[in-house]
Amino acid sequence: MPARAPSPAPLRRSWLTVAWTLMRLSAILLVPLVWGHVIIQDMLVGVHKISLDYVAMRWASLGWRAYDAALLCFAFAHGSNGLRQVLEDYIHGQTARRILRVALFLFWLSITALGAAAVIGGVRQ
Amino acid sequence: MLVALKIKRFDPERKPAAWWSNYKLEAAPGDRVLDLLVRAKDELDGSLTFRRSCAHGICGSDAMRINGTNRLACKTLVRELGSRITVEPLLGMRVEKDLVVDMEPFLASYRSVKPYLINDEPLPADGRERRQSPAERLRFDDTTKCILCGCCTAACPVFWADGEYVGPAAIVQAHRFLFDSRDRGAGEHTAALLDMKGVWRCRTIFQCTLSCPREIKITQAIAEVKQAIVLGK
Ligand code: FES
Repeated sequence: MPARAPSPAPLRRSWLTVAWTLMRLSAILLVPLVWGHVIIQDMLVGVHKISLDYVAMRWASLGWRAYDAALLCFAFAHGSNGLRQVLEDYIHGQTARRILRVALFLFWLSITALGAAAVIGGVRQ
Repeated sequence: MLVALKIKRFDPERKPAAWWSNYKLEAAPGDRVLDLLVRAKDELDGSLTFRRSCAHGICGSDAMRINGTNRLACKTLVRELGSRITVEPLLGMRVEKDLVVDMEPFLASYRSVKPYLINDEPLPADGRERRQSPAERLRFDDTTKCILCGCCTAACPVFWADGEYVGPAAIVQAHRFLFDSRDRGAGEHTAALLDMKGVWRCRTIFQCTLSCPREIKITQAIAEVKQAIVLGK
């Protein structure tokens, strides 16, 4: 048995602690973000009425752009991390897990960058 | 009443695969499943193998899957189950023979949280015990009730999917010392809970709480351990 460090031994965190905490925080933020999105886009406006004019109108407002950017960041990060957790139940090797994490991170990064470019960049008239 | 007792058997010296044995026994509603197992072994098939020791719900050695739920055979009455009783070994653990599973990985997880009081500070001035108020004792009372039977860990789908997860029982033990006002080893008890084997694998499925024969609020204890780590206590 290795020698024990003398007490007091304070609590430590790990990257999984951070991932777990972010998962909870993003979930709390997603409640208003996703519900707001669904209620406005799908119920009040309706998917069939979403035209380029409507999109341009939303693009014109900085507030809506910030809202959509926040939705994109939190929803997709939340989903990607959730996917990691599910897949790691089945993928047990250390190397395989590392490959999975890097792949998911790159996937998340590229989709988020693409989405952010569209949301923030807007339409070129 | 006549009870149809169906038991999942395994004996690598006899057959490579598991098989089912069916017994018919006369039983009273107040009989325990353990009584039926003992009678089946004594009267019908001496090769039937299972663990039991205290027979009173204290030692934790006769945890098994009874009609699909992990329970102690000595605390489960025939009355609760009806006339058809199916008994299997705990899931997620390697079966050695019949209802006997290999508890060593489970106990290794238990040891990994250093389940003992850690405090290197000098003793109090009177040189006697480290005192604790009733309220401080109450803080971790629930998790002192664990008998390490394995019902909770063997009911956890995360553990089934990945046996390296320490499982609820080990986290309950970490909780018991983490919230003890006399303990100074929080970092040591939780060190093994920080990586992929640890507490973050818990998905709050509540299977552990439902299966605990001691009725420990296990999922709540796990949440308290997570919270302590996130907040630094
Ligand atoms: S035999 Fe001891 S708990 Fe059942």
